[in-house]
Order: sequence, then structure tokens, then C-alpha cells
Amino acid sequence: MKKIISLLSVFAILTTAVFAEGTQDAAAYPTKSINLIVPFSAGGGTDAVARALAKSAEKYLGQSIVVLNKTGGSGAVGMTAGATSTPDGYTVTMITREIVSLPLMGLAQITPDDFDLIRLANMDPALLCVKEDSPYENIQQLVEAARADDGGIRFASTAKPNFYILALENNQGISFNQIPFNGAAEAIPSVIGGHTDFTIAGPGELIAQIEGKQLRPLAIMAPERIKALPDVPTFKEEGYDVVSGTWRGLAVPKGTPEAIKTKLEDAFAKAIADPEFVSFMENAKLGIYDLSSEDFREYINSDTAVITDIVSKL
Amino acid sequence: MFHLLMQGFQSVFTIQIFPLLVLGVAGGIIIGSLPGLTATMGVAILLPFTFGMSPTAALVMLVGIYIGAIYGGSIAAILLRTPGTPAAAATVNDGNALVRDGKAGVALSMSAIASFTGGLVSTIMLITLSPLLAKFALRFSAPEYFMLAIFGLTIIASISSNNIVKGFIGGFFGLFLATIGMDPVTGFPRFTFGNIQMLNGLSIIPVLIGLFAVAEALIQLEDILKKQESSSKVTNRKLVSFRDVLKVSPTMVKSAFMGTLIGCIPGAGADIAAFISYNEAKRSSKTPGKFGSGHLPGIAAPEAGNNGVTGGALVPLLTLGVPGDAVAAILLGALIIQGIAPGPMLFEKNPEIVYGLFSSMLIGNILMLVIGLTCIRFFSRIVDIPKKLIVPMILILSVVGSFAINNNLFDVFVTLVFGVIGYFLVKAEIPQSPIVLALILGPMAESNLRKSILMYEGSWSFLYTRPITIAFIVLSVFSLVTSMRMKKSSPSPADG
Repeated sequence: MKKIISLLSVFAILTTAVFAEGTQDAAAYPTKSINLIVPFSAGGGTDAVARALAKSAEKYLGQSIVVLNKTGGSGAVGMTAGATSTPDGYTVTMITREIVSLPLMGLAQITPDDFDLIRLANMDPALLCVKEDSPYENIQQLVEAARADDGGIRFASTAKPNFYILALENNQGISFNQIPFNGAAEAIPSVIGGHTDFTIAGPGELIAQIEGKQLRPLAIMAPERIKALPDVPTFKEEGYDVVSGTWRGLAVPKGTPEAIKTKLEDAFAKAIADPEFVSFMENAKLGIYDLSSEDFREYINSDTAVITDIVSKL
Repeated sequence: MFHLLMQGFQSVFTIQIFPLLVLGVAGGIIIGSLPGLTATMGVAILLPFTFGMSPTAALVMLVGIYIGAIYGGSIAAILLRTPGTPAAAATVNDGNALVRDGKAGVALSMSAIASFTGGLVSTIMLITLSPLLAKFALRFSAPEYFMLAIFGLTIIASISSNNIVKGFIGGFFGLFLATIGMDPVTGFPRFTFGNIQMLNGLSIIPVLIGLFAVAEALIQLEDILKKQESSSKVTNRKLVSFRDVLKVSPTMVKSAFMGTLIGCIPGAGADIAAFISYNEAKRSSKTPGKFGSGHLPGIAAPEAGNNGVTGGALVPLLTLGVPGDAVAAILLGALIIQGIAPGPMLFEKNPEIVYGLFSSMLIGNILMLVIGLTCIRFFSRIVDIPKKLIVPMILILSVVGSFAINNNLFDVFVTLVFGVIGYFLVKAEIPQSPIVLALILGPMAESNLRKSILMYEGSWSFLYTRPITIAFIVLSVFSLVTSMRMKKSSPSPADG
């Protein structure tokens, strides 16, 4: 009898402990520090957005956020780790456009459906730049030159495949001579050095060279002109229906409890609106694009359609 | 300029900033000396701590780590044959040969002095010549990178002149490893076996740690099991003599100069600079046969060369707003987070930051020399630690280090697999350095050859129409011919 009682009491303690933990998870969350997986290396654009956002969100979550750079496979390694982590709200992943493009190209086993979305934070439209003393005065001249000399104009590509240039090529039925570089850091000097004719990257990556009069922007693939570069026309204004850019948002593994997701979304929405974060993004010429979890899902769906179309023509 | 530099010194010699520089340099030396922890990682790890600091304080500390870590890499390479960074791989042979001869103090002090010379010359060039250096860097495009890589690969003949065939076996193995991952032009996955971990190819550092550190630990483990005691002599803590330093000073300055030039080309870093400097020192030496067996220029050249990169790598950052190497990329991120856009406007908009950076590099190099020389007594004791303790320490550091690079367990497996491969390579007397060199240069050669062909629309004329390309072709042929001649004239030394 004594044995049974002690056994029962152990069982009781264990079950209450389990249930206590269960209820605690939802109501008291977060009770410990949260990991934020960044699928690209420290010092890059994604890392900068993530760290600034983490710093800002700590205030609203009341716990510290630890940024973990898990790199490899063009972002596939970090995002796969994030999607397959325990859905308890303690692992948040910074997802990027690669979550859409990699699976479509057969380069990753996970898709956006493996995540529950929290919030979209940033969108950077693609900016096209030529060398300061380039003969091309505007985007029409560049496009017409490409039409006249098929595959003769050299484009310094920052990634392979390059969805920005493919969007323009498919839209206009033209082709450029794509020279693939490892990121903007290598593509930019090749344009400034006159070895290639133009490049396309985020405004934040090109602003220093534009201000230093080494590069000249021709047009931006944004729906409307951006605040950082008010004089640069959009492709739409110039008569080309091309809108493209890269984006970064937050997500948790599928199956995370609803209450935790709501808490996270509330905190990150406040973090994105925080003046400190806003001024950081303005300084770094990174675009804030705040979408709720539902709108974020829709945004991903429309981007999937765009990229599926481009990939099918590769 | 002089006036601004003085202001820079004043801003560094303050109670808030100077301790950070000392901390950065000392921390950098420790980070660099541990296998697996590199300058890039040290700077990346400490980056978040700088967010709350002033821009100058943040840069000063990160630059201190950078300078310290590149020197620190040589300490483990010399004492334990386990290069802490790829840039120290060229220092292993001559450095460790001296240690086995009981001259750890000489080897370590030579490395500290050479690193100091490299860093100092490079910083002075950065301060005085950066617009000129930027022009030089901008002339580099795919064809130049391709021929630079080919020239680099000819060094395999010179670093393995004891047995060129075995060196080439290693080199081709390295080139094969370099083809793993996505095709640089089409993005098609090669030899990845459907594993996403291998899409970007093998990371160089896990392979390096495996080939050197783990393999060395396995060999020592074998000695322990066979109860063989090492034959190394009692460690002598005497430093390198002033006369010897004077003798190698032309080599150091020449290497520092080459390191700066290589550093200012985006995409070529300390590792390539170290090997090229070693090669040049050996080529121009009157006694090339002594290299590899504890010859002082064999330490001075690569160490001056790899620290020479530190100043050069900041040239594109300050003049073009693009990083010259992986560490400069993180410095760029640090500046952006501070709300400062690096690039050509920095000199006009924030001269105090630029000159604060310059003066902290000058002072940082002096600190590195002082700390390096005073700590030799402690460092050289590592050699006296019993193997039974040092072997597990190397293994643990290797595993932790390879995991920490990308927080990725796959890299640990890569390290362990290459540890076993490295063990058998040592048994077969196939040198490891050619593998590392080929793995660094293979992707550079391949992607730039294909970029060149794309740029010239299928024509190979880039090989003979661009002056720098032609210069590298001449250098490559020259390098091959001299190493073949060296082989003929000097019968291979017994130790290597």
C-alpha cells in the first residue's frame, strides 16, 4: 500500500508538472530567452535587419533574443533548421525570398508551408545602376541597347539565378550577358572598374557608391518611388511593368500554439514601429514593409506565382 | 592629413577607447591561436557587443581583434602544427621544425616581429596610398583573378619541392574537392548527393582543421598508444637575434608589400597572401633548399604577408564601400549598424572615424608586438604539456571550433572525416598544404575563368590582351621553372 501511494504521488507530481508546463507555455510565454535563426552570415543585410529587429523586440517581449547565424546552402540550411525546430515559440526564423525560390528550383526540401508566419518586416526593391560616366542616360536607352545587341550588354549579377534581371528579360523579351558574381561586394567593383555595364542590387548596398559619384541609378523595381532615392524613377513610370525585390520576415515552425504566435506578432509589430528601429532602417537605406501574418501569407503566395513563372522559363 | 591623424591618436588614447584596443588585440591573439576560431569569427562574435558603443570605439575593438587574430593563427601553427587560420598554414613547416629543434622562442618571436612589420607597412600604405591602391584593385576583373589563381596554384610545386609528384596528388585532390557544390555559373549541384549541406561546397575551415589539427592529434595519439616519447629537444625560450631580424627584413618588407596589394583586391585574402609571400621568398632565396626545415624567412615571409593584408583589405572598404575580405565585410556591417555608410564619402562625412581607424591600426600593431613578445614565455610552455593532455584538448577545440563557424553540425563531420584523411596523407607523406591551397584557389580559378569567357563572349583573347593577365602568365611560368630547377640543383633534404 505504501508503495502504491508513493507511486501515485510521484505520478501526480509528474502530471501536474507536465500540465503546469503546458499552461505556462501559453500564458507566461516567454519565460526564457528566444533564439532568432538568421540563415545568412553576420555582417550582411539580413543579419543587420535581424539584429536591429531583435534589439527592438526585446523591449516588448521582456526576454533577450539571441541571434544565431546558421549559414549554408544559400539560406536553405538555416531555414530548414528553423522549420524543423520545436514549435514552442522559442525558435524564431528570419525567412527571406529564398524560402520561395529554393524549393521551386529543387534546392531545398522545405517550403513556406512548413512555417507559421509572424510578420513581414522589410522589403528592398531592386535598384539598377550603371557606372557614373556610362553612355546610358536612362533605362530606355539600356533596354533598347540590349534589344539591338542581343546578349551583348554585360550584367554583373549578384546571385544565380538572378530573379531581377529575369523579370526584366521576360517582360521585354530581351537578354543580357549575365556574369555571375558572389554578391554585391564583388559585382559593384566590376561595374565601377568598367568590366561590366550595370548591376542590380538593394538600395542599401549601392547608396555609398551613388553618393560617392561612382555609380548612377537608372531605375528602381518598386511599385512607387522610394524615400531614400526620390529622384530615381520606377520601372513602371518608364513603361516597363517590372516590380521585384527581396524581402525578410519572421516565422515559427508550423504547429506553434496560437496564443504564442499572437504574442510574438504583437511584439514584433511594435518592434517594427519602434522609432529606434525605424531610424536604423532609414540610416541603412533598408525599406520597412510591415505586413500582418495574414497579409504576409498572401504576399508569399503572389511572390511564389512570380518566381514559378520565372523558373519555368529558365 | 597629419593633423587629422594626430586627432585620431588623441581619440584612441582615451580611457574609454584604449582599453578596448588592448582587449581587442589580446582577445584576437587568443581567438586566432585556437584551431577553428578565425579572425572572421572573432570579429563576428564580438560584433553585437559593439552595438552600444560609439562608432570609433566599435571599429577600434573590431580592428584590434582582426590584427591580433591573424598573428595569433601562427602560434598554434608553430607550436602544435595546427594552424588556427588558413592564413597560417604556410607557416607550419618552418615554424614547427624550429620548435622540434627546441627553438620555440625563436620561431614565435620571428612570427610576432614579421606580423608587426606586415601590419605596419600595410597600414602606412593604406593611409598614404589608398586612392592609388583602389585604382589598382579596380583593374582586376575576372581574367586577372583567374590568372592570379593559376599563379597561386603553381606555388604547389614550390611548397612540395621535396616530392613534387606527391604535392601534385594533394593539389589535384584539393581541386577535386573544390568542384563540390553548385556550379558557379548555372547553379547546378555537383557531387552533393542531394544533400543541401553541400550545396555551397565544403567550407575551407572544417577541412583545414581536419587535415591539420585532427590528423596531428591522431598521430600523437598513435605515439601515446605505442608509448613513443617525442624526440623534441628541451624548449629554449631564447628569442630571435637582432642580426637575424635584420637579415630577413628585406623579405618581411617585400612580403608586407605583396600582402597589401593582394589585400586590396576584393576576394583575395590573407591565406593567398601568405602562400604567395612564402613562394616569393623561396624563389628569390640563395638557399631555397633550407625552406621547410626551420628556415627563418619561411616564417617571416608568410607572417608578414598575411598581416600585410589587414591594411590592404580596408582599401576597397574606404574607397569603394565594398569589403576586401570576409573580416572587412563584417566591419562594413558594423558601420552600417552604427548608421554610417562606408565608402568614398566617409573621408568627407566622418573623417574622425577614418583617422581613428588608421591610428588604432598603427597602435594596434605595436600592441600586438608587445603582447606577442611578452607572452612567448607562456605560449612556449604549451610544448611542455604532456601529450596525454594536449591531444584531447586539440580534439575538443577542433570539434567546438568547426561547429561554431556556422553553428552547423555537418561541419563537425567534415572535420572528423578530413582528420582521418589527413592521418593517412601524413602516413603516405603527401603534404596537406597543397590541398588547402587548391581548395582556396580552385573555386576562384573556375568561376573567374568562366566569367572571363562569358565577358569575352566565348573568346580566349583575355589571356593576351590584358597587361596584368600577361604579367601573371609570365610569373606562373617563371614560378614553375624555378621550382623545377630548385628540385634538380638541390637534392631533397631529409626533413620536411
